Order: sequence, then structure tokens, then C-alpha cells
Amino acid sequence: MWRNVIRWNGIILVAVTIVSSLWLAVTGQLVLYIHPRYVIFTVTMAIIGLAFVLASFAMRADPGGDDDHDHDHDHGVGSDPLAELDPTLTGQDASSPARRRAALFATLGTALTLVIAFTLIVLPPATLSSATAGQRSINSTGVGSEIQSVDDAATATDGAFSAFTVLDWASLLRQTTDTSFYAEKPASMVGFIADHPDDSDNMFYLTRFVVTCCAVDAQPVGVPVYLENWRAEFAIDDWVQVDGEFGTNPSRASTEPIVLTVDDMVPVEQPAEPYLW
Amino acid sequence: MAGLLIGVLGIAGLFTLRALTPAMGELNLPNALQDLLTLSYSVIIESLPFVILGIVLSILVQVWVPDAWIIRVLPQNPVLRRMAISFLGMFLPVCECGNVPLARGLVAKGFTVSESMTFLIAAPILNPITIITTHQAFGFDDGILVARLLGGFAIANLIGWIYSRHPDQESLLTSRFAAECRVVDAAAARRSNGRKSVDLFAREAGVIMPALFIGAIIAGIVQVAVPRSVLVSLGSNPLWSILAMMVLAFVISICSNVDAFFILPFAGIFLPGSIATFLILGPIIDIKMLAMMRTTFRTSTLVQLTAVVSLMAALIGLVVNFVA
Repeated sequence: MWRNVIRWNGIILVAVTIVSSLWLAVTGQLVLYIHPRYVIFTVTMAIIGLAFVLASFAMRADPGGDDDHDHDHDHGVGSDPLAELDPTLTGQDASSPARRRAALFATLGTALTLVIAFTLIVLPPATLSSATAGQRSINSTGVGSEIQSVDDAATATDGAFSAFTVLDWASLLRQTTDTSFYAEKPASMVGFIADHPDDSDNMFYLTRFVVTCCAVDAQPVGVPVYLENWRAEFAIDDWVQVDGEFGTNPSRASTEPIVLTVDDMVPVEQPAEPYLW
Repeated sequence: MAGLLIGVLGIAGLFTLRALTPAMGELNLPNALQDLLTLSYSVIIESLPFVILGIVLSILVQVWVPDAWIIRVLPQNPVLRRMAISFLGMFLPVCECGNVPLARGLVAKGFTVSESMTFLIAAPILNPITIITTHQAFGFDDGILVARLLGGFAIANLIGWIYSRHPDQESLLTSRFAAECRVVDAAAARRSNGRKSVDLFAREAGVIMPALFIGAIIAGIVQVAVPRSVLVSLGSNPLWSILAMMVLAFVISICSNVDAFFILPFAGIFLPGSIATFLILGPIIDIKMLAMMRTTFRTSTLVQLTAVVSLMAALIGLVVNFVA
């Protein structure tokens, strides 16, 4: 039984990843892991892979087929599963240290990959959290090429400002701290709450991750928000919509020159596309 | 037919399990553990289509392209031949994780080990998608694009030349893969091309997928454990910025087709040479790639490969920092 599991491990892992990917694509959650530009490619290759998986079962697992017979000839190593793992072990004594080591590694490796596969298929999909935002240091890098410039923003309408995302405002804050630039420019953004180390009781970062390829490369961007005693009503990782305006930071504990002061802040559901692209 | 029925029922069972489990509610895992899993799944899901594409191309090369056809169209002179192999990626634009099964297929088809290494190193960099995305991100600013292309070409051919001098190239391979290439399977030769293709898919999946899963989980653990601020603080020093970018490239394990967009926001903090080093080293050596290459090459080979490629990538970065 375990020999068969080891033999079929690759096909099982492909099947689990394909099923997981297709289910995520159908439910619109594949974007929790990869950029939307890859969705069609991923689904296409998953379908091709699924055809190979089913063909593998049809041709290699059919009791009436020649799999068992063929397997004896595969790689010329006989039906010994350890020899299949490492042909140099063929003919060695079953109790030799090399064989025992190979058996142990094969068993542990297979068990580990199957555990990961099991979690991939049963755990609910999730976005990255404030733990990664803090670990990757919010606003520690630039914000890429798709940014708002101060010159363009200076002539934008109120309607345009209210559509600006966390990324747009974060890029403007990096370019200018002139308070007159932000005067009478209404801001309305959705993001999740991440800790602000300067004054963690009265300030937080309204945060989003910016993704270029997949969640692995997610960069946290955030705008500093000032709201006295915000922890009384909200918690880290809560998704919220914040309406307000940018102005001078009232916090004496922070070196952040400009913050978003809150007119209204309400909890919201996590967006269907939680990352910005 | 019984095998197909088992397969269909198994796939249907997986879909059912996947569809039912979210209804059981959140598990409320600790944030760090949840993020570790999300990062690892992201690597696996992002890599899957490229792995399948790589295996399919490997099947085409091994089963459907006539024997020695590829070998015959390449130049006979070893140096010119490796130079030509460096550009195979222009016609087989698969990112690095898909290139591992393809490189294995090329060895099985008759490439020498050093030639397959040249392909494995050059193809993720010298391919149209990588060139276009790097140009979109950086244009010709600071010589980053030129350094990446010339650097990838130079390192691939240097590695190819070094290992072409090896007296026993087969000894660079794992014993399992060497045996697979060496043994003539008489039973397999009698099978149809369709059956051979399916067998090859199952065999390559059995080798590549466990390596991908383990590589992804290690990459996830390291990403959660190493604070990014440590690397960013080193950005403005000509030498340390290069070393920081090498560590980042090793840890992040990102696909070469889009790594230019990932690294673009760092361009304001890090020197151009360190960006070039990231773009040269990342497609060749990272956690995920080492796990996948271990399916084919011995550990000692990978240690040597990592040392030479890292030194060359760092040297190119230093030159760019000096010139730019």
C-alpha cells in the first residue's frame, strides 16, 4: 500500500494542486495567490494536466492493463521500491544503512508532501495578514511604476480623489509632505489595519499588499491614520473603510509628518480582490 | 476502464472535499503560520502551470521529436554549440521551474550534462518574456537589462565550459537520473507514443512535484523568519547591497518572467548593480530551484554551481555599480 502511495505521489500532488487551482479559479479566489494575468494560463495548463492525470489512471492503474508488468521493467531496476528511488541500491542487503536511510527519507519526504497537499485541499483560502506586513516593513520600498504623480494629482477632481487607493495616497505621501497639497482633498480608502510602531494606541497603518506576480512578492503599502484610542472599536487585521482628509499629525509620539485624520471609519468585508496590482 | 473510473472518482472526491471544507469555518491559525501556508501555496500554485508546460515540452522533445533531430541542427563545435543552446529559451519560453523537466528531457535525448546546464541557466533569462518584462520595468537605464542578458549568457557558457572539461560528466547527476538515462527500456520501446507520453508525465511529476512542495514550504518558512528590514537597511552600500540582493533572490524564489516588476520598487533604495545581481542570480539559484535541481544533480554539483554562479553574479553587479 505505502509502496503504491510513494509510486503515485507525484500524480497525487499534481491532482491536488490542479483541483485546488481550478476550485479557486471557479470561486474567484485564485487571485489570493497569483496575479489575475496568470489566471487563464493557470486554468489552461491545469486542464491539460488533468487530462494527463486521468490518462495516467486509465493506462497505469488499470488492473487489466500492463502497468504491473511494465513496472518490472521501468528503469531496469525491478519492482524494488527502494531501487526505484535509487538504482545504485539494487542488490544491496535489505538491512544495509544506505537502504535504511533511503527508505526513511522516502517515507518522510512522501509523508511531508502529502500533509502539505492535504492542507492545500482542506484549509480555507486566506490572504496575507498584518504579520507579513510588519515583517516586510510597510512602505520600506518604492511603489513601482504605476504611481500617482503630484503634478497629475494636483489637477484631479474631488471624485477622482475619492477613488484613490491606499497605493495612490501612499505614493503621493512619499513625494510630498506639503500640507497645502493635501488641503480639501477628500480621501476614502479600504484596507486592513496594521500596527504603527510610533504611537500604536492612536495611530495605525491602513494597509494593502501590492502584488506583481504572486503572494510571495507582496509588498505592503500603507497610509498612516490618526484616530485616538482606535483599539476600543477595532483590532489589527480588521478590514475597514476610512473617510477623511490628510493633515498635520497631532501625535507627539510620532515622527510621521502627515496623517489621515478620520471623519468616518466603518468595518467592511475583505474585498474580493484584497491585493492591489 | 477501471483505472479511468478510479481516477474520475478520485478527482471528483477531491473537488467535493475542497468545496465542503470552507463551510466548516475558519481555523483561526496564528497569523505567522497562516501566512507561511499562504506563501507556500502561492509558490506551488504559481509554479504548477510552468511545471506542467515544462513536462509537456519535455514529452514533445523526448517522445515526439525524431531522435537526434535537435542534436543534428545544432553546431558541432562545442563552444558554438553551447552558445546556440543558450538561445533555445527564445523558442521554449518556460520560466525556471519548467526548465528543470525540460533540461532532464534534453539530457535523456542526448545532450551532455554541461550542455543541459547551459540551457538550464540561460533559458530563464534569454527568453522573450523575460526580456520584454525587464525592458518594461527598467528600459535601458543604468545598464540593468544589458547586464542581465550578457551576464546570463556569460555565466551559462562559463558553467557549460567548466563542466565540459569534467572527465565523467555522468557523475554530476544523481544516480537515479543517470540510471534512467542509461538504461534502455525494451518494454517501453514497444509502447505507443501516447502511452510513452503518459508514462513520462507520471515519472516527471513524481520527481518534480515533491521537490516543488518541499522547496515551497522551505521558502515560506524562510520568508516568514527573515525580516525584510534587515536587507533593506543594507541597500546603499556598494558591496552589502549586492549581498543583500543575493539573499533576497535566494529567499524569494520568484519566477524570472516577472521578477523585474517585483524588484522595480527596490530600485530607489538599492544600487543598479545589486538589482542586476538579483535579476541574474534569482532565475538560476534560489531555494525552490535548488530543491528542484536536486532531482537531477548531486548535492556536490549544486554546491559548486551555486558558488560559481553567485561569485559571477556578484562580480557583474560590482562592475555595474562601478560603471553606472
